[in-house]
Amino acid sequence: MNASSLALPDYRQQRPEVAARFQRIKERPVVLRIEDLAKHFGSGPAARTVFDGVSLDIHRREFISIIGASGCGKSTLIRIVAGLEEASAGRILLDGKPVSGPGPDRGMVFQGYTLFPWRTVKENVMFGLEMGGMDRSTADAEARQWLEMVGLGKFAESYPHELSGGMKQRVAIARALANNPRILIMDEPFGALDALTRCKMQGYLLQIWRKVDVTILFITHDLDEACFLSDRIIVMGANPGRIIEVIENPVPRPRSVEQFLTPEFLALKQRLDDIIHAPGAAEAEEKLPVVKLTEAGDEVE
Amino acid sequence: MSSRDWLGLKHELPRRRQFMLVVLSFLLPLALWSAVSYVPWLWHPFVRVTAPGGVDYFIEGMDVPRAVFAKEKAAALQAGLVAPAGYPVNPVYLPAPHKVARAFFTAFKTPPRLPNEPWLHESLGHSIRTIFWGFVISSVFGIPLGILCGSYRFFSKLQEPFVEFFRYLPAPAFGALCVAILGIDDPPKIAIIVIGTLFQQVLVIGNTVRKVDPALIEAAQTLGARGWRLVRRVIIPATISDIYTDLRILLGWAWTYLIVAEVVGTSSGITFFINQQARYRNFDNVYAAIAMIGIIGFSTDMALAWLGQYLFPWKRRRRASALKSSVAEPSPSSAIPMSIG
Ligand SMILES: Nc1ncnc2c1ncn2[C@@H]1O[C@H](COP(=O)(O)OP(=O)(O)OP(=O)(O)O)[C@@H](O)[C@H]1O
Ligand SMILES: [Mg+2]
Repeated sequence: MNASSLALPDYRQQRPEVAARFQRIKERPVVLRIEDLAKHFGSGPAARTVFDGVSLDIHRREFISIIGASGCGKSTLIRIVAGLEEASAGRILLDGKPVSGPGPDRGMVFQGYTLFPWRTVKENVMFGLEMGGMDRSTADAEARQWLEMVGLGKFAESYPHELSGGMKQRVAIARALANNPRILIMDEPFGALDALTRCKMQGYLLQIWRKVDVTILFITHDLDEACFLSDRIIVMGANPGRIIEVIENPVPRPRSVEQFLTPEFLALKQRLDDIIHAPGAAEAEEKLPVVKLTEAGDEVE
Repeated sequence: MSSRDWLGLKHELPRRRQFMLVVLSFLLPLALWSAVSYVPWLWHPFVRVTAPGGVDYFIEGMDVPRAVFAKEKAAALQAGLVAPAGYPVNPVYLPAPHKVARAFFTAFKTPPRLPNEPWLHESLGHSIRTIFWGFVISSVFGIPLGILCGSYRFFSKLQEPFVEFFRYLPAPAFGALCVAILGIDDPPKIAIIVIGTLFQQVLVIGNTVRKVDPALIEAAQTLGARGWRLVRRVIIPATISDIYTDLRILLGWAWTYLIVAEVVGTSSGITFFINQQARYRNFDNVYAAIAMIGIIGFSTDMALAWLGQYLFPWKRRRRASALKSSVAEPSPSSAIPMSIG
């Protein structure tokens, strides 16, 4: 694309320790299998295919990011995985067993915070535990532990509206993890946060993930976020939605902010940028009609 | 204090100013009423005769229209008779504020004219009892039905069309029927209030419940809630404070039905008092009684609003933004052992 990209290494080139890590991941059991999934909305001539023929295996404790142009069906895909929507074709296997309908084995963190405003922070975390039939005092103790882990022990008795966006999202993560889900599904969880908070939250998420045995399926718009967090990156294209490429992230772990400028990181980001913004590849970008609203002679640029 | 400070769009006013405006909202109509009552050249379409003079049909204490008075006065003077005397007054149905204020206290102390008629406080008590039972009975059915309609398409389709139809039947139209079935005392009155409130209640609460944020329901589903527990643990708590607000508004409507209900069968309660006083042309008492309904309704609503703050602490948003900015973001601890997962 430009001169600097010529100097970057190939994004497929992996250091030995990275290659070894992917080898180990592949040997782990498959937690979630997406088999030939398709989704259509509507029927007859108005029918619209969101995506078709999507297949993916996710291994235990893997961190998967999905990126892709807006409208390519990322949210629809993971809503089907979470059981909030029905697939038109194909199936979802969790630990080899087909699932339908939402359940506590697949935790979800939404972009909107979706904390229950009438429950305190601690009671929010207790919700899933109570639904699972745990008695109140055990659930209480467990919830406190989870809040400690996300660093919000002091806010156990606060109500969600007293918390900042980043803190709310950490409660949402604690609430989902308290159920011991097999997989944690996150749909642009940090999309509504400002850049600084977002950056901190990415660090927190990695810390939490390191301590908890959970597989993460993470949707984002932010290429840096995908490169920083994930093991594998699924790039989706639109019209119809499909998986264009599955990229193994060459950036070694443990990750840190300094890695943002390493050659692997830049090469990976360059590659993602190329796929997503390649003409015709990902999206047929609509040209907006240019309407001039100011008087001629008013050019600022 | 620029005008923008007072009139900014959606601009929160300081508490002091809010309080001033609240007081002013009552003072302005009162000032208008006082002006019309106490400034002799504002309105005052009648003249109260103090001395009939030479006009043969004038009697002392009689109210005659101003023009008539002026004409008779001129005629009397021309005929060489004594001119009649009088002062301008408003019609008897518009008593001055101080008279109504006085009636407020005397009405409670004045014994009823007939021994079997109730005192004012008894009439008021009777009305409050009627409305209380009407509203309680309506809510016992209306709230659960509304929640079911709002939560399940099944109940919504099964009930709401009929409820919607029934809502258009005016409650007073059932007066005669209620009396025939329930007798002439309180039961038919309570029934009218129930008929007037219940159907609105089902629809209003159904709508409120339907407006629950679907994201909250989805979040609860992914946490393992389903079926009836989803209704009880998520939908009801998510909407309960809005339902409470609906009930406050519906209680206001119930007062409207009360006035209709109280003339059904044997007239009773505050309506009976008002009608009786109007018959005796004690309009100051009539206004005092109407104002009492207003005061009871308004103070009940204020009390319920105040109670709501304690029932729904998560709705109290005061200082929420201040807290946000003053609290430093704590970070996740690294001391928790891995075993927690
Ligand atoms: N209920 C629905 N009925 C009809 N079409 C729908 C429905 N939900 C989603 N779609 C369509 O499916 C497509 C994919 O939507 P989806 O929200 O999954 O995209 P996305 O990749 O998550 O986009 P974004 O990045 O903006 O969040 C969109 O074009 C949308 O119009
Ligand atoms: Mg989306």
